[in-house]
Amino acid sequence: MKILYGMQRPDEGEIRINGSAAGFHTPADAIAAGIGMVHQHFMLADNLTVLENVVLGSEPRRGGIALDFAAARSRIKEISDAYGLGIQPDVAVEDLGVGDRQRVEILKVLYRGARILILDEPTAVLVPHEVDELFDNLRGLVSQGLTILFISHKLDEVLRVADAITVIRRGTTVATVDPKEVTARRLAELMVGSELPSPETRESTVTDVVALSVRDLTVRTPDGRAVVDGVSFDIHKGEVLGIAGVEGNGQAELVEAIMGMRPCTVASMTLDGTDIASWSTLRRRADGIGYIPEDRHRHGLLLESPLWENRILGHQTRRPNIKGIWIDRAGARADTRRIVEEYDVRTPGIDVDAAALSGGNQQKLIVGREMSGDPVLLIASHPTRGVDVGAQAAIWDHLRTARAAGLAVLLISADLDELIGLSDSLKVILRGRIVADVDPANVTPEQLGSAMTGAGEGA
Amino acid sequence: MAAAACGGSDSTTTGSSAGASSAPAAAKIKVGLAYDIGGRGDGSFNDAAAAGLDKAVSELGVDKKELEATQGETDAQKEERLRLLATGGYNPVVAVGFAYSASVAKVAKEFPDTKFAIVDDDAATGANITNLLFAEEQGSFLVGVAAALKSTKGNIGFVGGVDVPLIHKFEAGYEAGAKAVKPDIKIQTKYLSQPPDFSGFGDPAKGKTAAQGMYDAGADVVYQAAGGSGGGVFEAAKAAGAMAIGVDSDQAALPAYDKVKDVIITSMLKKVDVAVFDFLKNYSAGTVKGGPTRYDLKAGGVDYSTTGGKIDDIKSKIDDYKQKIISGEITVPST
Amino acid sequence: MSSFLDRVFGRVKLGGWLAVAAPLIAVVFAVLITSAVLLAAGKAPVEAFTTLADYGTQPRTMALILNTSIGYYISALAVAIGFRMNLFNIGVDGQYRLAAVVAAGLGGAAVLPGVLNIILVVVCAMVVGALWAAIAGVLKVRRGVSEVISTIMLNAIATGIGSWLVSNYFGVLTGNDLGTRPIPDDAHVPGIPLIAGTSQLVNGFLVLAVVLGIAYWVVLNRTRFGFDLRATGKSESAAVASGISVKKMVVATMIMSGAVAGLSGMPELLGQSYKYSNNFPTGLGFTGIAIALLGRNNPVGMAIGALLWGFLDSSSDALQLLDISKEIVSIMQGVIVLSVIVAYELVHRYRVVAEQRRVSRQLAAPSEPEGAAA
Repeated sequence: MKILYGMQRPDEGEIRINGSAAGFHTPADAIAAGIGMVHQHFMLADNLTVLENVVLGSEPRRGGIALDFAAARSRIKEISDAYGLGIQPDVAVEDLGVGDRQRVEILKVLYRGARILILDEPTAVLVPHEVDELFDNLRGLVSQGLTILFISHKLDEVLRVADAITVIRRGTTVATVDPKEVTARRLAELMVGSELPSPETRESTVTDVVALSVRDLTVRTPDGRAVVDGVSFDIHKGEVLGIAGVEGNGQAELVEAIMGMRPCTVASMTLDGTDIASWSTLRRRADGIGYIPEDRHRHGLLLESPLWENRILGHQTRRPNIKGIWIDRAGARADTRRIVEEYDVRTPGIDVDAAALSGGNQQKLIVGREMSGDPVLLIASHPTRGVDVGAQAAIWDHLRTARAAGLAVLLISADLDELIGLSDSLKVILRGRIVADVDPANVTPEQLGSAMTGAGEGA
Repeated sequence: MAAAACGGSDSTTTGSSAGASSAPAAAKIKVGLAYDIGGRGDGSFNDAAAAGLDKAVSELGVDKKELEATQGETDAQKEERLRLLATGGYNPVVAVGFAYSASVAKVAKEFPDTKFAIVDDDAATGANITNLLFAEEQGSFLVGVAAALKSTKGNIGFVGGVDVPLIHKFEAGYEAGAKAVKPDIKIQTKYLSQPPDFSGFGDPAKGKTAAQGMYDAGADVVYQAAGGSGGGVFEAAKAAGAMAIGVDSDQAALPAYDKVKDVIITSMLKKVDVAVFDFLKNYSAGTVKGGPTRYDLKAGGVDYSTTGGKIDDIKSKIDDYKQKIISGEITVPST
Repeated sequence: MSSFLDRVFGRVKLGGWLAVAAPLIAVVFAVLITSAVLLAAGKAPVEAFTTLADYGTQPRTMALILNTSIGYYISALAVAIGFRMNLFNIGVDGQYRLAAVVAAGLGGAAVLPGVLNIILVVVCAMVVGALWAAIAGVLKVRRGVSEVISTIMLNAIATGIGSWLVSNYFGVLTGNDLGTRPIPDDAHVPGIPLIAGTSQLVNGFLVLAVVLGIAYWVVLNRTRFGFDLRATGKSESAAVASGISVKKMVVATMIMSGAVAGLSGMPELLGQSYKYSNNFPTGLGFTGIAIALLGRNNPVGMAIGALLWGFLDSSSDALQLLDISKEIVSIMQGVIVLSVIVAYELVHRYRVVAEQRRVSRQLAAPSEPEGAAA
């Protein structure tokens, strides 16, 4: 995708547009070739009007210097009418809703003459009726002869909107299928690459001792909007509680609230029976919460520090890393070697920087670190995102083993099969609220997917 | 020449003071001069010293070596500068500015056979140190008289470069002079920077802003004792169509201020050039005396300028005050 | 990945010979540029550099360079403490000056005799510097004010307060120079006859500078506080996730930086001028920034940087004797800092690529592509 848009160069292979080969060095080349990209995160300047945002970077000139806003305004109206986008050019972007902003993004690329549109996860930020509107717009565009590349991991949406589906797994094309002839389950299998994990064969290790109990947890944005709204749950020892939801529905905020990294209001939050609501992040970690963050580069590692220093990170109150106020280098290094050994972290040594490891090995290091010191609760946010197959299986194994040993796990994932496969119980989160409890033993990814978007009846 | 080896310090044998300069006649005299911050070309104080040196080069045929100071340096670095000159065989050594006080006192002891002169300081004493002092308050008194006589609004201003005691003398004399003429005159005062920030002596933009404020607040004459910042005061005067008074040199006659010379009604002259030249002349004649030499109105060390003819009408009145100061009838306060 | 700024401010380290290569390249480059400038000005570069070398190797000059460098080094340490955790303490300048004013006033009053007075002055300077820096820290934590802005403002305010204190409370007029009452002889820190062949003593604060340099290294690299500080500097988000209270760290670091800044004026006060006057050196804090950049926050690197700076600063007079403008020294200093930044960036990129190659080679397996998001 980045290659198509000229942001990255291919190592081999070629790109053909309308039959002729094309090579892009920069996004400008891609735009010139008629390719336009609508990013998942909008790239709009809030305090400018729609008109200004659209012309930004390709301002129409009159006489070489003066900006010709009149011409731009009429062209925007023209495009908007032609494709039924319904956009007013003189409204400030900050006053627009999410769906409108997305249409502005689409209009922006059309304005630059794009005939091929790349949409990267366009529905991730939309509510269901906005999704319907978007799909109507897309059909309109296609009927006008445009080509759309729709990238999504939501199976039902792909099935609804696409004329042809190509499944990519770990950088390779797995299959190209016709949406009329494929089921969601078959698509899911193609994406995962094997038979889906079969949860029912696993023995339950759930005990009746509550490890973490949360009641009425609410997180508000600075402007008062609730992004996590009255969430309550219990996780027992030996239980994996999965939280399913489309990304951006409050999972990240929920995790950060439990970690004490984000202010929240909560009726009660207890770990092993002790109230931890007023504790600092450090104390929560020291008292037995392990944390595999969603973004390991931002939250999990010091990329430019050696592995053994990364072993200390998040565990800088405890042995074997610390003796009094001093860092116990020998202890930390020895334990890092243990983790490298036990968790099969592929590295030439513990003195290389974390940045030099592959994503999977970085993640194994984090898992190993967070499993050490006998945690009561492990918060695993997308634990296998962006890691290779081998590492994924290894991480799953480690989670299962720890669970069998009595660890409570809060699992957040966008990978529905991972959720279904690992969880003992599942909750669906939508717009900050828990909207459904699901039994992973008898739910399909499709059912779960529709529960996540709030469309289905929630199994 | 007579350079003591570095390290031959602490010897306090000083020899006889007057007329004992070792061998001025034999070899060519090599003069070492250490400037304060700004150095040659500051259009003010350092330039005045440079003018005296240049005169000595052309009239007395001495050799010269000039070293400049760096912003924010330590006393140790100043000492080293003087020491470099002394060990290089430069004799006499002239230090421009009171900043050299402690350094001259120390280095002069290490080089008893070298003559030192320091401008604007009487704290450094020794048999081989000549202190060149000025009665800035007396000259400032006269331009204060001129300001009060020329002001139609009864409102005048004073812009000081840095809030240090030396500049306070300018302010005190100016104020006394103006009040001698009009006891109820309004005087606005502003210093451009606080020590140890000495930027007020070299920042025309600051000078301009300060003077503008004074003109806006009703002043029609502003006297600046602000070194290189003075140019900004003149610009503000020009923009406001008002009058300004220069300092140290006859600034209306300086090419650097050619564009604003018509607003400079007079300048308080502090004749550092005369003092430096006199010192060098005495040295070459073998008659240098240690201790303070005071350049006041009587000695012609301070004065006011009449270039441009802007104060010709009141010259006689100013000269009356001048006579009274010289005769001792008026004593000008210095603080 | 580290940002360019992370690397500029030395939060990313370089190992082995690469760490030495970069500054060497930079100095060679600076010499070349300076030579070009000298040639353009019609002076002989070789003569200039031999004069410099000559001058710099005389015993007396070496002692003087050392003395100048002591203050520079302590100031650089103060700056580096902030740099290591992403704090730009531009206010070292104001902190040391205000500390020096108050300490000089207190020392001049001689409330305690002898050594006790020295200790009182030093402690007072540390406390004043720390408190002054803490203001910026608290403003950042409580109100989100960038410490760059607040410390610059505080510098100006410190100048004002210092001047007000001297003119209204501590001031004694000596000739035309207004300063604090001199600290009595029994509370002077004695010099050390360290360098043979000259009677010029080396400032006794050399000992303190060395101790501080070692303490800086130990605290940063061997203690939990240092780990937290470095972690925060390398990745604030990771530090937060690991449980470090970044706000506390900001205030604590500013306090430490300010306390060390307060010390940087002490070699001059207790070992040279014994009073705070209009002549007290200024700009030490800004020199410290340059040296911290030059020495990459490394205690040994900064020591070398401070010596280099001290050498260049004291060499300006020697150059002027050759009728070379003293501004050539500023040019050289500027070019060195710029070249060091460029050289480190180049070396850093080389190292990242080299290490990744090394890791994948040692693993003897084709590097696994990171699974791209769907």
